[in-house]
Amino acid sequence: MIRLFSVREKQKKDAAAAANGKTVKQSAGELRLQKDISELDLPKNVSIRFPNGNDKIMNFEITLKPDEGLYKGGAFLFTFAVPTGYPHDPPKVKCVTKVYHPNIDLEGNICLNILREDWKPVLSISAIVYGLTYLFLSPNADDPLNKEAAAMMQQSPAQFERVVSQSVARGCSIGGEFFPAARGDRSG
Amino acid sequence: MTFEVRIKKWHAVASWTWNAGDDVCGICRMPFDGCPPDGKYPGDDSPVVWGICTHAFHLQCINRWLQSQTEQKCPFCRRQWEFKQAVVGGEDESEDGAGT
Repeated sequence: MIRLFSVREKQKKDAAAAANGKTVKQSAGELRLQKDISELDLPKNVSIRFPNGNDKIMNFEITLKPDEGLYKGGAFLFTFAVPTGYPHDPPKVKCVTKVYHPNIDLEGNICLNILREDWKPVLSISAIVYGLTYLFLSPNADDPLNKEAAAMMQQSPAQFERVVSQSVARGCSIGGEFFPAARGDRSG
Repeated sequence: MTFEVRIKKWHAVASWTWNAGDDVCGICRMPFDGCPPDGKYPGDDSPVVWGICTHAFHLQCINRWLQSQTEQKCPFCRRQWEFKQAVVGGEDESEDGAGT
């Protein structure tokens, strides 16, 4: 019953807003994204930013600072572009901080199952954040986008560990490609 | 002792629910007893349906998802999606199927 009233109240509000001619009606995707964001409970090492202002939520940025694993100490910036078909279509996520990682290529494309073939509409932004966090804790060499990195991770794990931590902390060249220190900016 | 009561006026109040337990649809995150994004009114305009896996969604939400997929699977558990027949009055399955 209470819910019915709140639905009605919202309709009233929408009608009032429409009468004022102020608001453009939010798309279904935007409405759902709004719920995702308001329920987002980010861990301390993850932050979110809306570069186009708080009312343009379909494009935003997430910064992840892994607190464990090989990429600890780095900061990685991701851009999220949420389509209007959300949550039926997954957000487009890119890693714009250049990184030597088996599942991320030099253009910032990310190989994460839930961003493509395993996406389902019951998932949310927070599920993707967990997925990205996991990807930095345990890179997966079996399904590589950066084949060189995957090969090194499998064949000489000690060297892989060394070059990753060096590239993250200070920046270095790996196989002729320079990876600047991972400070959470656009370096891709 | 008896006395006569005359009812001059009465005011009926009823409430309804889809009885869907978990109170929001996993796809649109709107209340089951409310509307999905493309439903105008709660209730008959925004029916709730169940799969044989027992997961429930707004009819509009699950249909849109199934139409976009080649394989018909529940978005929660990935089990093969089949609409469950509605149970009327808590009795055994009846002909009155929801969302079939």
